[in-house]
Amino acid sequence: MKVVSFRGWRLVVIVAAGLGLGLGWNAWSGRGLALGSNAFVRPGDDVELVEAAAAKARLDQGALFLDARGIDYYVMGHIPGALPLPEDDFERAYARLEDTLRRRFDIVVYCSGYGCEASHIVARKLRERGVEAAILHEGWPSWTEAGYPVTEGEEP
Amino acid sequence: MKWLRHPLAQWALGAALGAVFVYASWDKIARPREFARIVYHYQLVGPSQALGYVPANLLAVTLPWLELVTGALLVAGLWRREAAAAAALMLVAFIVAVSWALFHGIDIANCGCFTVGGSAEGRTLGWKLLLGDVGLLAVAALLVATPAAPAAVPAYATTRHPVRTG
Repeated sequence: MKVVSFRGWRLVVIVAAGLGLGLGWNAWSGRGLALGSNAFVRPGDDVELVEAAAAKARLDQGALFLDARGIDYYVMGHIPGALPLPEDDFERAYARLEDTLRRRFDIVVYCSGYGCEASHIVARKLRERGVEAAILHEGWPSWTEAGYPVTEGEEP
Repeated sequence: MKWLRHPLAQWALGAALGAVFVYASWDKIARPREFARIVYHYQLVGPSQALGYVPANLLAVTLPWLELVTGALLVAGLWRREAAAAAALMLVAFIVAVSWALFHGIDIANCGCFTVGGSAEGRTLGWKLLLGDVGLLAVAALLVATPAAPAAVPAYATTRHPVRTG
């Protein structure tokens, strides 16, 4: 009995159509995403992203660092002098730190890495309250991979 | 399992699988930025220092369209075996991604399966999700492995009748 045979070229056409339509829609729909951009940064967000080396220089000059990760991660290890401002407990932590934050003009927020959104959320919430903060672009891993100092425990 | 090769059964299975894929693609196509953020959470294709943002963003803007094309072909009953193969490949990728996240303890509130909004909208990662994907993979594999039997041809159409010449 003759059966419908499997044709590999059709599978290639299906995949190519998906890729082509996706890239085409992304380019021309008006709601696309720049392929090299960070999707956590909303269009219109005027956020400053700093690389690890620049962040270290700012730390040396006295910048205040904020750790947007959960408090357990902060205790396990954080940038020396950084204060915990966990995104999942923002309101309480902000109330505690507000006076400090309003007196500082060089603030850098970081979270757990490239794929983390917490630093963007915290920076956005701070901006809504009139506090400007930059974001450590590649987060905690870029800091540790560069061999910059870290410290453990609940104290900054 | 002969009934599985019946054209109607094949269409019904394909249409059901295709409808899931079409539905899954919709919100991701409408909100690519939100879907890209979910892709980031899996930490499978970046973003990372080595890979940058391009692989994760590329996946976020093309995967939903591949789902849509595949789903539409399955619903229409066109290129069914090949579309089912594409669906199976995607489902294998989904199963790998979910297993990877579960294995590494990555907490993802919304799997990005059907909606890309906040955690309240989506399904969380877990064994139920994995089992659902395995079930869909079984349907896709079935469609690839058991092609429809050709439609029955009436005997008169294949029998040679002597031609009267006078």
